[in-house]
Amino acid sequence: MTVAEITGGVVLRRALRRQRARVAAGIALLCTHQAAEALVPVAIGVVIDRAVATGDIRALLLSLAGLAALFTVLAFAYRAGARLAFAAVEHEAHATRVEIVRSALDPRGRRSGMRDGELLSVTASDAELSALVVRVAGLTAAAFTAIVVAAVALLVVDVPLGLGVLIGVPLLVVALQRMAPLLTRRSTSQQEALATTTALAVDLVTGLRVLRGIGAQDHAARRYAGASRHALDVTLRAATTKGLHLGLTTTVNGLFLATVAGVAGWLALQGRLTIGELVAVVGLAQFIAEPVQTLGYCVQMFAMARASAGRVARVLGAAPAVQPGDAGMPAPSPSRLALDGVSYAGLDDVSLRVGAGELLGVLAYDPSEAEALVALLAGRVSRADYRGTLAVDGVPADELHIDAARAVVLVEQHDVALFEGTLRANLSAGASVDDDVLRAAVRAAAADDVLAAHPHGFDRMLTERGANLSGGQRQRIGLARALVADPPVLVLHNPTTAVDAVTEGLLAAGLAATRGAGTRGTVVITTSPALLRVTHRVVVIDRGRVVAEGPHERLLASDTRYREETLR
Amino acid sequence: MTSEPSTRQLLPTATGRQTWAALRTELAHLPGLSAVAGTLLIAAAATGLVAPWVLGRLVDDVIAGTDTPQVVTWAGVIAGAAVLAGLLTAAGAAIAARLGETVLARLRERVLDRALHLPSATLERAGTGDLVARAGDDVAVVTNVIATSGPAFLGALLSIVLTAAGLFALDWRLGIAGLAAAPAYAVALRWYLKRSVPYYARERVATGERAQATAEALRGAATVRAYRMEDAHVARIADRSGVARDLSLEIFGLYTRFGLRINRSEFVGLAAVLLAGFLLVRGDLASVGAATTAALYFHRLFNPIGLLLFESDSVLQAGASLARLVGVTTLPDTTTPAGAEPARPDRVPAALEVTVAQHRYDDGPIVLRDITLRLAPGERVALVGASGAGKSTLAGIIAGIIAPTHGAVTLRGVPLAQLDEHRLRREIALISQEVHVFAGPLADDLRLANPDATDAEIGAALDLVGATEWVRTLPDGLATAVGEGGRQLTSAQAQQLALARLVLADPAVAVLDEATAEAGSAGARDLDRAAVAATEGRATLVVAHRLSQAATADRIVVLDQGRVAEHGTHAELLSAGGGYSQLWRSWSVPDLVVPRKRESADQPVAS
Repeated sequence: MTVAEITGGVVLRRALRRQRARVAAGIALLCTHQAAEALVPVAIGVVIDRAVATGDIRALLLSLAGLAALFTVLAFAYRAGARLAFAAVEHEAHATRVEIVRSALDPRGRRSGMRDGELLSVTASDAELSALVVRVAGLTAAAFTAIVVAAVALLVVDVPLGLGVLIGVPLLVVALQRMAPLLTRRSTSQQEALATTTALAVDLVTGLRVLRGIGAQDHAARRYAGASRHALDVTLRAATTKGLHLGLTTTVNGLFLATVAGVAGWLALQGRLTIGELVAVVGLAQFIAEPVQTLGYCVQMFAMARASAGRVARVLGAAPAVQPGDAGMPAPSPSRLALDGVSYAGLDDVSLRVGAGELLGVLAYDPSEAEALVALLAGRVSRADYRGTLAVDGVPADELHIDAARAVVLVEQHDVALFEGTLRANLSAGASVDDDVLRAAVRAAAADDVLAAHPHGFDRMLTERGANLSGGQRQRIGLARALVADPPVLVLHNPTTAVDAVTEGLLAAGLAATRGAGTRGTVVITTSPALLRVTHRVVVIDRGRVVAEGPHERLLASDTRYREETLR
Repeated sequence: MTSEPSTRQLLPTATGRQTWAALRTELAHLPGLSAVAGTLLIAAAATGLVAPWVLGRLVDDVIAGTDTPQVVTWAGVIAGAAVLAGLLTAAGAAIAARLGETVLARLRERVLDRALHLPSATLERAGTGDLVARAGDDVAVVTNVIATSGPAFLGALLSIVLTAAGLFALDWRLGIAGLAAAPAYAVALRWYLKRSVPYYARERVATGERAQATAEALRGAATVRAYRMEDAHVARIADRSGVARDLSLEIFGLYTRFGLRINRSEFVGLAAVLLAGFLLVRGDLASVGAATTAALYFHRLFNPIGLLLFESDSVLQAGASLARLVGVTTLPDTTTPAGAEPARPDRVPAALEVTVAQHRYDDGPIVLRDITLRLAPGERVALVGASGAGKSTLAGIIAGIIAPTHGAVTLRGVPLAQLDEHRLRREIALISQEVHVFAGPLADDLRLANPDATDAEIGAALDLVGATEWVRTLPDGLATAVGEGGRQLTSAQAQQLALARLVLADPAVAVLDEATAEAGSAGARDLDRAAVAATEGRATLVVAHRLSQAATADRIVVLDQGRVAEHGTHAELLSAGGGYSQLWRSWSVPDLVVPRKRESADQPVAS
């Protein structure tokens, strides 16, 4: 798939193409159903004409059998057709949803420009709404069929009357549709006001402990009451408009029925219509409004599907954030990671080197410069966006295949992301690892308490995003996970901000023992003296530039600013 | 640290009878509106019966060979009824909505009011999860059903009842024939509800799990990519999406089978009416016109009956949500009566004393014992101890949100138990570990603490906690939307806001529980300064996570396994050479090499 060319139209056409078998069969069946529905009033007329009015038992039995046959066709055609159409929508929505997630998790990153919340709503609702195009196709075809069948039936009964109904009904429906924009506007603002009120309630109750802490519950309740009253006003305006529309529809339909009944009654009086035909005409005149309204509904639904398809296309068609090369894993070199004259987002001509077996500390006085360094090392920055070179084992990072780059350098984020599942699954991050290895890593990360406090040990379940652990526990499990992965180059970013002093000291010692030997390289970007103390060397970045470099103790002794920044 | 969800279902749900009673009470508050709405809706449904009846008479007259003016008259009657029906429908729908929506608005306001004023003990036990679900989802479900399906459902119900009455008025034998369909409908509905309601619950769970897996993967995308777990996460999401999809398909299958049963019932009814009409006409007991009217009446019922049946499950769900809402309103009312809000409590500084002989949660282990502590007016006391030493529990007791099992807290010599919750909360503020930025303009967030605060006062509070600089960089200053859906603040900024709220709420006593725990080192130092500034002049208890918070306190209390292990000033404790001085050395001296054995200081966190 050439991602660059995806548009909303492509998404919609693709949906129809992918679901064509279900769509085609569904349309045929739904059309059959609508045709049968159109014939019900005709059938009632026939029963009255042939049987009730004549008293002929044979005719009664025959016509009731016919009615039964009609209902059977109607019911089964609907059942099968609606199921096929629904299945097409659901399968398409599922397929689209999986594609969106795959694209959003593209290892190269994507420039969709959407925040997590937006992406979530695209996966949740836009995937579903864009798939509705399939349903639009089915309903439109079925509604047309119903109109055609009703038209033919009316014209067979009486041509001028049939023409009158056929022209009159669409005119009426179109006229009533003129209120649609107002209705839509009113109900949109109603939905918005209600959504705002709900969001406010959720927000206030979520922050209830905070509110209680400062005795602000009364103020919060008053604020909610204000929002609720506003929502009520908006809702009442919408309800009045809706009531008006409903009343108008009732009146217009009734007046139309009066006209048709009058004309048909007069024709029957002239002997041009039988009683049954009179009944059928009146029934058809009432029925035909339904498919015409369905068409109006389809137009709205299509507009919605198109808008959603546009958003889906924005995700699926987003260009990759970086363009990695295709070089394989480089051979380990003495300089595992090297930045030469790198300038990027506040970093100005930064050079630093992480040797094999080295534990390098980086202290950036400005947190945003630390963030920039993390982004660079994580491979999130496109080659075009930074100057200088970034080499992994002597090979420019942008020439490596994305999998090779990720196999060598691992960045554990400051904001540790854990996932629902067992502790074991979180620690091993999908790999199959011995429990002993896990245990060693947990010990090194000073996270024994997470394991010890729970009867299930490694099988302990973590809830969504590890919410049943404290912030400090999450950080330490994140570190343990990184130690389990045992990458050639490990980058840690402020890994102990939520860890208490004593535990931090243990963790630092464990980290030094695990990573500070052999050929592996480790970068710890931190302001914590406990961690900096165990590194072999510290690089200090101030205003984007490397201003000092050396062992922690020496910097402490010689550099006042350094001492201040790391003092607690 | 969350406990198992099963222990959290502590908020009451109303019984069916209580729910009806609550609704009746609400409607009784608006007697005029209720009567008018009821009358209009019934009249509107009744005018709908005119047309089929006239058509039947028209059929009879045509068979009898009437004249043209009579046909015109009948058409005129239908037209007149149409105009009347339109007016009644419009007015009825609008007034019924006014009634229903007003009742609902009052209900949701009461629910939120009670939720916000949940007694501390209940909140601590129940947590906020269930409450959020009720204030959010349940209100939304009831609101949507009332706004979208409500009027149609009510209209359909009235149509059906009145049409059945009309059928009987026409000819009781035709009425009975029409009723022949009722058992068929009833069986179909029963069949459907028995299956659909549990299915919907399962579908909601499946959709929730899908959303959760997606949110988790997208929010943790950087980690997913770093550990090369894309395929596993996509597979998991695809799996859950597949489960949700299959459930939806099954539910729709159920729905269409229900549709089949409804079609069958329609046929049974229509055939019965036609058959009865045939027999009556043959026996000369009714006219062809009456038989026609009956058939048209019945055909006219297809749509309202279908609507009623297909909407029945959403109405049932709304009923369940309503019962949960009414349940919340049955909670004890701790709100201050309107107008009785006390003026600012005496602005004199206050002293607070706490004694805890023993405290435990339910039947759990004893978490605190033999504690006596006094906070002098304006004094700052720091609480130090390992995780699980009981710091947060003691902070909760001092803040008055946890009642000690054996012990008491007095403020200005008055036991907290004798103060009403409202008064208490204005006197003692607690900033807990829970950080929340309220969605909306920044100024609105801060005004929750003091709605009357002027912009200048807000500016001063922000200045005091050192937030002026970043607030100035916000695109719309104080009007900038923050929190959920707005600008995301860093945890340090969120903490500064919490302190600014404290300044605006201006309590005599402040309890800060690990308020600076999550910020990085540099930011933490600024926050320490901000906390000192915000609590100046208040009796303050600080649960110290960073020992620097302890060092600047007037006095330090070290807790170990629920007891006071040491207390005194920073200098005193250092020279005493106890646990605190060791802790301080290991923490503050940057070149110390190996810390003490960990087990003695960092207790495992019970979870």
